[in-house]
Amino acid sequence: MTMNYTSAVELKGVVKWYSKILAVDNIDLNIKPGEIFGLLGPNGSGKSTTLKMLLGLVQPDGGSVNVLGIDVQKDAVAVKRQVGYVPESPRLYEFLTGTEYLDFIGDIYGVKAEEKRERVNEYLRALELEGREGDMISGYSEGMKQKVALISAFLHRPRLLILDEPLSGLDPRSARIVKDLLHELKAQGVTTIMSTHILEIAQALCDRIAIMYRGKLLALGTMDELRHRASMPDSGLEDIFLKLTGTGDIRAVVEELLR
Amino acid sequence: MNRKNVVHLIRVDMKSGRLIRGRRLTRFRESRFLPYLLYGGALALGLAVGAIAGFIYNGVSAVADSQLMALFHQGLLDLFLSLPTLVLIYSIVFTMMQQIQRSGVKFSVQAPYWLPITWEEHTLASTIANLLGFPLASIVFIGSAIIVVSAFMGEVAYAVFTFFALLATAFMASAITEIFRILQVRFIGAVYKSTGRAAVWVRFVGSLLFFLVFYIVYFFITSGPGAITFVQTVASAQSAVWFIPFVWLGMTLYSFINGLYAQALVFMTLSLLLISSLFYAAVMLNRRFGLYEPPAITVSRGVYAPRTGFLGKLGFSTVEAALIRKDLKAFTRRRELMYIFIMPIVFMIVPLMQTLGATGPQPTEAIPPFLFGFFFLLPGAIMATILGSMMIGEEGGAVWRIYSAPISSKSLVKGKYFFIVFFSALVTAVTGIVWVAVFHPSLRAILVALATSLLLVFALGAISLANGIRGADFTELPRPRMMRTAWNFINLIACFLAALAILVPFIPYAFTIVPFMSLRPVIELYQATVISAAVALTIAFVAYRMALKNGTELLTKAET
Repeated sequence: MTMNYTSAVELKGVVKWYSKILAVDNIDLNIKPGEIFGLLGPNGSGKSTTLKMLLGLVQPDGGSVNVLGIDVQKDAVAVKRQVGYVPESPRLYEFLTGTEYLDFIGDIYGVKAEEKRERVNEYLRALELEGREGDMISGYSEGMKQKVALISAFLHRPRLLILDEPLSGLDPRSARIVKDLLHELKAQGVTTIMSTHILEIAQALCDRIAIMYRGKLLALGTMDELRHRASMPDSGLEDIFLKLTGTGDIRAVVEELLR
Repeated sequence: MNRKNVVHLIRVDMKSGRLIRGRRLTRFRESRFLPYLLYGGALALGLAVGAIAGFIYNGVSAVADSQLMALFHQGLLDLFLSLPTLVLIYSIVFTMMQQIQRSGVKFSVQAPYWLPITWEEHTLASTIANLLGFPLASIVFIGSAIIVVSAFMGEVAYAVFTFFALLATAFMASAITEIFRILQVRFIGAVYKSTGRAAVWVRFVGSLLFFLVFYIVYFFITSGPGAITFVQTVASAQSAVWFIPFVWLGMTLYSFINGLYAQALVFMTLSLLLISSLFYAAVMLNRRFGLYEPPAITVSRGVYAPRTGFLGKLGFSTVEAALIRKDLKAFTRRRELMYIFIMPIVFMIVPLMQTLGATGPQPTEAIPPFLFGFFFLLPGAIMATILGSMMIGEEGGAVWRIYSAPISSKSLVKGKYFFIVFFSALVTAVTGIVWVAVFHPSLRAILVALATSLLLVFALGAISLANGIRGADFTELPRPRMMRTAWNFINLIACFLAALAILVPFIPYAFTIVPFMSLRPVIELYQATVISAAVALTIAFVAYRMALKNGTELLTKAET
């Protein structure tokens, strides 16, 4: 795979306002090709807005967003063509069957018919959707819908994956398959940006992690760098996250609730 | 039964209307009086209508002789008598129609799944909630009007009794709707499950028939001579069919007004028993089928093999063809979208029923201009207007797929516009065939009408699509909204003005064919058609460019 860019994602001084609320506050971020990058933060910290800006779905009020060497504001469609995206709560076309949906996605991303057939059947088999692929999506469980959303993100062999809570609702086997797949894709040079609240997953999967809080990038680095930054050399990501975001005083909250 | 639970559930149902009304949802505030505004308005209107009717009654009594006055008095009392049966039928139709439109409502239906609420409480709340809105407002209006007019007649006791009978009737109608709703969900679901691949078409045809029957009944009993015939039949035939349970409330009133108090008591007891039976039947059915989960519909089996589409051969890109195919499936599988197919049928059936019923097929020369427009121009144009306005909003929550996929504004607009034009033209063709078959118009009339109809489709489809993108609303609960109300209104006005501009060249021609005006032809029909075409194509071109611009904005400002 030839790449004529040095950063898969490059954000410079990105600012986004929603009327009087500053959702993203002057963020600089550089994600390397082939990296699995975790974007963490409490609810409302600006993660989803940042991810949407990477796809050109939200226009920044300041700064620049470059994805796979393309200025998103100039050519969002070219970026989208190379990106696989799974939103936090993927709403699918419930009136289509699983295969009809994936067929639609394949066509939208310009996957050739034969290639599409092979990949769709492979993914359906791997994620144990075989036998249900002809059912309308309205009859699927939430986990099955998540699997379809994930397949639709992988189907066109994207060079960048943007996944918001990708393992939500998946059974352990499928979650393991997706995790292994992300590692394999990393080896092939595919970049993954993942947002999750399950910190164990972020710790296990991500090469680097960024913690966002109130629109700012609070911390960025590998697990060791984050431990060093938080002065917590033996701690896990959960403790570091709680300390850095200033939400660590859990004991007092629990005691208050138990009163 | 815990009455508080019932009240809580009804309140939830009332609040579900907030999403329909499209209020600002952040820092939400709502007037406590707003939900009661409709009923207040109905009460005020009822009092005013009752007062006017009362003054007319007084006026008539001042000039008419006593025999005529007695007849007039009796006529009004007869109307009271027939009201419960009329309201029963009207309420069933209204609440059924409401159920169709509220197919997306999930809150009150799902509540008993996990909340400590009994099926009695749930069914009672649901039955009362069915009545909220126009059905209840109608009763408030009728009730207040008859009480006021009865004061002038000196029959207040009858009017008050009638008002309570109306409430009981509406409750009965709502209980019947509740029973029907449960059975519909359960048995249609079972049919889907057993029919497998054919389920999609069973659902499509079944839903169309369901809509069609109710729309025809609705139009029949609410408009034109059908409504008057209906009232007369009910008023005169009620006592002859006393053994039918649904007229017992009317018979209670009849007995009461005629001084047959023992008979009134019997019919009242029977009515209460009937209402209780219907309510408990609904409770029983809810208990039995209420937790029913809709089955998965299997459309296809076997290994997936993609097919190359016919649309590609027509010059559409893969993306455009995929969008068109997806929308085709949406409109044949999503119940809330299927109703669009019923409109052209209703547009044909209603005037056909009236015209053919009255006069039989007419020769070419005698074709009323109204039917010319109705059969050929209107259905396709209306279809284009409605389809265009909903084509983007129908994506609902799944619009993220469009946002995040590599779809350009050009592909999006082209795919959607083709769908609008294709189906509207198809409707034009079908309505045209009916028109030609029934009214045998001349070849010239057919050609001009066909051209004008298609031009209207092109222009109105483009305008509606441009507005549909600009005013798209992706809210799906409690029901899919598709387009913001203000934009819907703007779109209707824009389409009306555009249609007027397109049809204006025919006005001078129309004057020349009116015999008694004896004007010289100022414009030939074909000239009018050419001018009309130029206007339509200009409008279509400009509107299409606007749609492209709006599409670009939609895809880059996906902030909602």
